[in-house]
Amino acid sequence: MRKFVAESWLVLVLGVVFACLLAGTQTQLSAKIQANQAKALENAIAEVVPGFDEKEQLEIDGNRVFKCVDGSGQVVGWAVDATGSGFIDKIRLVVGLSPDGATITGLKVIEDLETPGLGNKIEGEWADQYETLDATRPIVRVKGERHAADNEISAITGATYSSDYVTDIVNDVTRRIGPKLAEQQ
Amino acid sequence: MADGNGSNFDQFAAGVFSNNPVLVQLLGMCPTLAVTNSVENALVMGAAVTFVVVMSNLITSLLRNLIQPHVRILIFTLTIATFVTIADMALRAYMFDVSKKLGAFVPLIIVNCIIICRAEVVAIKCSVSRSLADAFGMGLGFTMALTILGIVREILGAGTLLKQPVLPAAFVENGHNWVIMILPPGAFLTLGVVVGVVNHLRSRKATGGVA
Amino acid sequence: MNLGELAAIFIGVALVNNLVLSGFLGICPFLGVSRKVDMAFGMGCAVTFVITVSGVVTWAIVHGPLNWVGNAVFGDPNSLAFLKYVTFIMVIASMVQLVEMYLKKFFPSLYTAFGVFLPLITTNCAILGACLYIDMKEETQHLLNAAVYAFGGGLGFTMAITIMAGIREHIRFSDVPKPLRGAGITLLVAGMLAMAFTGFTGIGK
Repeated sequence: MRKFVAESWLVLVLGVVFACLLAGTQTQLSAKIQANQAKALENAIAEVVPGFDEKEQLEIDGNRVFKCVDGSGQVVGWAVDATGSGFIDKIRLVVGLSPDGATITGLKVIEDLETPGLGNKIEGEWADQYETLDATRPIVRVKGERHAADNEISAITGATYSSDYVTDIVNDVTRRIGPKLAEQQ
Repeated sequence: MADGNGSNFDQFAAGVFSNNPVLVQLLGMCPTLAVTNSVENALVMGAAVTFVVVMSNLITSLLRNLIQPHVRILIFTLTIATFVTIADMALRAYMFDVSKKLGAFVPLIIVNCIIICRAEVVAIKCSVSRSLADAFGMGLGFTMALTILGIVREILGAGTLLKQPVLPAAFVENGHNWVIMILPPGAFLTLGVVVGVVNHLRSRKATGGVA
Repeated sequence: MNLGELAAIFIGVALVNNLVLSGFLGICPFLGVSRKVDMAFGMGCAVTFVITVSGVVTWAIVHGPLNWVGNAVFGDPNSLAFLKYVTFIMVIASMVQLVEMYLKKFFPSLYTAFGVFLPLITTNCAILGACLYIDMKEETQHLLNAAVYAFGGGLGFTMAITIMAGIREHIRFSDVPKPLRGAGITLLVAGMLAMAFTGFTGIGK
């Protein structure tokens, strides 16, 4: 017993000291870490639904949906937080929809692990082509030139799969949640 | 190798050049390959490892007369894991975007052999000042190696350096950038070539500078 | 929980996102213990064994005691998350010790076959990496999925290191430029293997 104590007291003391150190750091930083995580979502919502003053969080069919209203209480748009499978791992994105849920007002990918340099272009300007597309019928992914009137988006060269996965998630949102938005106003 | 002899500055310089942990000792390869697809990731990873190796060497060196030989590995691991957790939380609080890109490779600093190796070889038997000199040397050497790889891969793969375009726009727009450099194979290939170049330079130095 | 989901996880971690060739985990043994095929295979088996055991045990600790104590004492299952890394590495280190003692006592022949690799495994980042990924990923939140993920990761590691050793046994007879001998050529070969493995992307989705 004495031998055990002689050899291991330092480990135990260090264990306690380190645990306190970690707990201290956690209490200091956790608020900021959570704020960072929330901010990514906030920024995305602001990007896909322009010009709202307040938002309210709802749950529709298992998805988090943000009802965005202006100063006079008028609904200016909806932001749907959606996750679906991607090429490498899950893709999480926010889809902006018009007040009647019939038009897409924006798309922002907030979490993905797609291939750097190819698939991860979904994070950038590429997603802007979803803007103004019709949410009442499925979006079609084409290679090369697209026709917005036919609800088409053009795939990223070399990352057709990533483009497909994003389109699938968006179509799923517009099909399941789009029609239910008008009645929530 | 400068373990034991020479000044503190020699100990520091050895870590950066003649005994560079990545390019000469071939330690800590996982993060070297994984996070060097951009210079920014490489620099942040280097800074995090430097912080952990400095703290681990400092604590080990301070306690070197108290640590029982039996439990030393346990104590090293405990110390390293603690400071890695702190580094991880700090990154998530202050550099959220980069920490998301580094992902699991921040907690994986725990099993970076460079750190435990410095505790075992230097900190457990040397004074605090010497251990610190060693830790800063190793940290800087590691950061430098990662940055070299990051520069090569980011320029060839994306045509940028620290996200600023450095190659003509046509390079990327016409699809001439070597996407393979940002993907996993590019990491292996670049490191293989860099290690070859370093070996070549070292053997030239050893034979008196004549190729 | 269906078989298809398990198969997708297995193929994903063993081929598509091979821990070594696209996840950059376990590079040290991949470069260090890949000179001979039998050595490499022994190392692979030892890693597969430890990775499966540690993956399951760390999963159980996070979903059991850590969440439970966090919930009971602080009212939030995630409040003890800051202890995760320390716990993981301690579990792995003790698992390696346990496995070593167990093999020595009950399977001496197995122990002599890959006992020498066991101490090296503690600092093999493939093990800690797999445990961390199991903790982070959504699809490995069930015990069975986590076990399949860990086992598949181990098999993927075994495959990569054995292929590498096979190639290196032949490189010995080639005229490699002097500066590239050893680590240099091994890394270049690994790069080509990694390129070959990118061909698996898209399978299992």
